[in-house]
Amino acid sequence: MTTYSDLQIDALRELANIGSGTAATALSGMLGAPVDISVPNPLLLPLNEAVEAVGPVDSEVTGVAIGIVGDMEATVLMLFTPETSEVLCPMLGVEAHTEIALSAMQEIGNVLGASYTGALGMMTGLELEPVPPQAAHDMLGAIVASVLLAPGEDRDAVLLLDSDLSVEGGAECSPSFMFIPSAGGVDELLTRLGMA
Amino acid sequence: MTTAAEVMVRMGEFAVSRSPGDVLVSIGLGSCIGLCLIDRRRQAVGLAHVMLPSGGPGDMPGKFAPSAVPTLVDALQELGAVRTSLEAVLVGGAQMFSFGNAGAGRLDVGARNDEATRAALDAARIPVIADATGGNTGRTVRVLAGEPRVVVKEAGAGERELFSAGGGRAA
Repeated sequence: MTTYSDLQIDALRELANIGSGTAATALSGMLGAPVDISVPNPLLLPLNEAVEAVGPVDSEVTGVAIGIVGDMEATVLMLFTPETSEVLCPMLGVEAHTEIALSAMQEIGNVLGASYTGALGMMTGLELEPVPPQAAHDMLGAIVASVLLAPGEDRDAVLLLDSDLSVEGGAECSPSFMFIPSAGGVDELLTRLGMA
Repeated sequence: MTTAAEVMVRMGEFAVSRSPGDVLVSIGLGSCIGLCLIDRRRQAVGLAHVMLPSGGPGDMPGKFAPSAVPTLVDALQELGAVRTSLEAVLVGGAQMFSFGNAGAGRLDVGARNDEATRAALDAARIPVIADATGGNTGRTVRVLAGEPRVVVKEAGAGERELFSAGGGRAA
């Protein structure tokens, strides 16, 4: 199975940390509330195990996927539980669990994805571009598996850098934010960091 | 001794059963395919959770469409099913997100999984008698041994019967 040294994982984690920190700042500006972020948790797992590591496959979530293209390919996936949506949507002035709520969350994905991509590009010198986000409300298993398998190719392991955002203001509101580089994308990032 | 149980068929796995009461389940199929094979006379059922249209088989033959079909057929035959009596029901193969990489004449992975599974079934001369594939919603499939029966559930909707040995076939 594909492995990376602790040093390489630390470097990727730091990259993801700065990226998601930038995204959290963007979200905070959008919501007008402070947003905390956990240090990204790196998971290197076979495809079939990665999905279950993210969460219960039958739980209902809203997923927003933002593709990153250019010098490397990756996907940023944000997951919102129904509880998180119920806190977040009113902050954006929309009612949770509606069509319009789905586009509001897509817009969050748009802003966060763009700032994440920008930060990543700046740090690595790679030319990167976000693809317009896509949103779906469905079972976690279906959403995460479809993102991981979208390239349609087998790989022995997938790297996920998972962080939890936490919006301050009473009720639990913690969107999860995942950076999923393609197999070639990981190598490209490590090369740019001088750690390949 | 037979004990009835719900058997989880996770990504890349497969399972077979002839024990009445057994239920084979794949939860949250997105672009993946729930490949169900049924021998109604011998009340034998099998389910594979297919992830990819090509590759393998490696140590997980259920993961790839081309190896999942023969692997499931072999396992069912070992259980006493008859090859020429097998019928298939397909669930999944949705496109949850349309990424740019599906462009330029390339089908998305859900549609490719569906196509590859049907091609493998065709090669094995196994007819597809019911399906719930494509679209953009996730699905959970349950295959009930004994009866046999296949039910499917989409997110936010009720369970519906896709196939029943007793009640003929549903759309």
